[in-house]
Amino acid sequence: MFCDSIVYGMLTRRSLLRTAAAAPLAASAADTGGRIKQSVCRWCYSKISLDDLCQAAQRIGLKGIDLVDHTDWPTVQKYGLVPSMTPGAGNIPDCWNRLDNHEKLVQQMQENIPRAAAAGVPNVITFSGNRKGMPDGEGLANCVTGLNRVKKLAEEKGVTINLELLNSKVNHKDYMADHTAWGVELMKRVDSPRVKLLYDIYHMQIMEGDIIRTIRDNFAYLGHFHTGGNPGRHELDDTQELNWRAIATAIADLGYQGYFAHEFIPISKEPLVSLEQAYKTCKV
Amino acid sequence: MQSVNSISRRSALRATAALALAAAPATPAASPRLKQAVCRGPWRKFTLDELCQHCVRIGIKGIDLVDHTEWPTIQKYGLMPSMTPGAGNIPDCWNRLDNHENLVKQMEENIPRAAAAGVPNVITFSGNRKGMPDGEGLENCAKGLNRVTRLAEEKGVTINLELLNSKVNHKDYMADHTAWGVELCKRVGSPRLKLLYDIYHMQIMEGDVIRTIRDNFAFLGHYHTGGVPGRHEIDESQELNYRAIAKAIADLGFTDYLAHEFSPTAPDQIKSLEKAYEICNV
Repeated sequence: MFCDSIVYGMLTRRSLLRTAAAAPLAASAADTGGRIKQSVCRWCYSKISLDDLCQAAQRIGLKGIDLVDHTDWPTVQKYGLVPSMTPGAGNIPDCWNRLDNHEKLVQQMQENIPRAAAAGVPNVITFSGNRKGMPDGEGLANCVTGLNRVKKLAEEKGVTINLELLNSKVNHKDYMADHTAWGVELMKRVDSPRVKLLYDIYHMQIMEGDIIRTIRDNFAYLGHFHTGGNPGRHELDDTQELNWRAIATAIADLGYQGYFAHEFIPISKEPLVSLEQAYKTCKV
Repeated sequence: MQSVNSISRRSALRATAALALAAAPATPAASPRLKQAVCRGPWRKFTLDELCQHCVRIGIKGIDLVDHTEWPTIQKYGLMPSMTPGAGNIPDCWNRLDNHENLVKQMEENIPRAAAAGVPNVITFSGNRKGMPDGEGLENCAKGLNRVTRLAEEKGVTINLELLNSKVNHKDYMADHTAWGVELCKRVGSPRLKLLYDIYHMQIMEGDVIRTIRDNFAFLGHYHTGGVPGRHEIDESQELNYRAIAKAIADLGFTDYLAHEFSPTAPDQIKSLEKAYEICNV
């Protein structure tokens, strides 16, 4: 990396070219970006202040920050970034698959969707809830009932509700929306252009694999993507099993217009370097 | 057992073949941690001799899915017939009791023949579901395989039951998940019954490749590769990072073969094989 320039005399033609290619990125204020708008999840960089993260995001070429509360939006927007995924309703274990929760969830959506719309924020997040012994079919019917109560508001306000798919094998035992097929069936039944799935590639690689085919076959129902190396949920580097560039290319080729947000927990001592590497890997 | 004579004859041939090819430009790495092989099928436009010569030059150690009539050619080049016919076929195999008599006969022919030629592996399958519940198929497979594991143990040949996808290529195939295959291996309980973990097929069915390999390593006897989706080159054009997977397998101390089983789309199919070798040479 940087020691290349110190031992300049030893540089081969190839590493000179590499340095030349890297230089504009390192020096420039903002990358023009590839075909996909990339974003980063706030919680993975909790040791870094939001201002510092935004500055780094801007420098790297990222376009948004995921999972930020409305109190943080002014800071994010100050840097020309979009709060690309924001609180909608509920939490991972308790959400739409239980009718008892619906009243409260609808209230949260009635607060969060208009607020997002007013700030030009495109997405709110929500979940299925855990199974707790409930059959998947019953949970599906309950989620349909609940989401049907808020989809019109989302359509009117132009905000997309994203229900996240998560793994129930390693990180979120008992979570119901743990397979794409279940989520897609829910999307078909709710049938709103403003209700989509958050397809978390890390989680779905743990649960079902076949990433590119699944994305292609169900693209109309996928509103947002998250990343993370598998196994381990760390850097999207050569130590983990997915070829992120091929996946990002497949998504870009489909004409994806939403955000593609990095949600890995960096283990390197330079988390922002990891983030920049992930950006470059997925810049297609 | 083989006579000392025929062994030395074979190693003499191997030495000759190695000498003849020593002048080839690319010399394989000294001692790669992972022995790689290639399936005969996708490179059928080359004669077996041609394919063997390329393998020797590249550093590939074995040829998978080759009939016993082809073994002498392969062994002439110092290569191993690394996976060979055992019993049955993909749709019709051990999950139906009616097949067992026939399958046992095939194993009684193929296992001793493999042993006599120093061939380490024979392949077999579950068969298709055809409406049969997985539990019943599992029981039937265990019953059938129990009739041939002793022979495999005595002869030192491993029976590899292949895991395949039932979503795209082999609709209705029963052994389409690792968990089912591992349960079968546990019930049979023989060191000579293992699973052929086909990475391409299992990425289509279940993903989580490295964790699954680590968690079930004792039951995995052999690996196949292939890019997902499409079953083509295992390079940057598809979704799996084969180098990381190969590293994970090598780190576990795997000693059998990782065999390439993809249909090359590049005009130079040998280049594709070379590249696959380099990707997995860890």
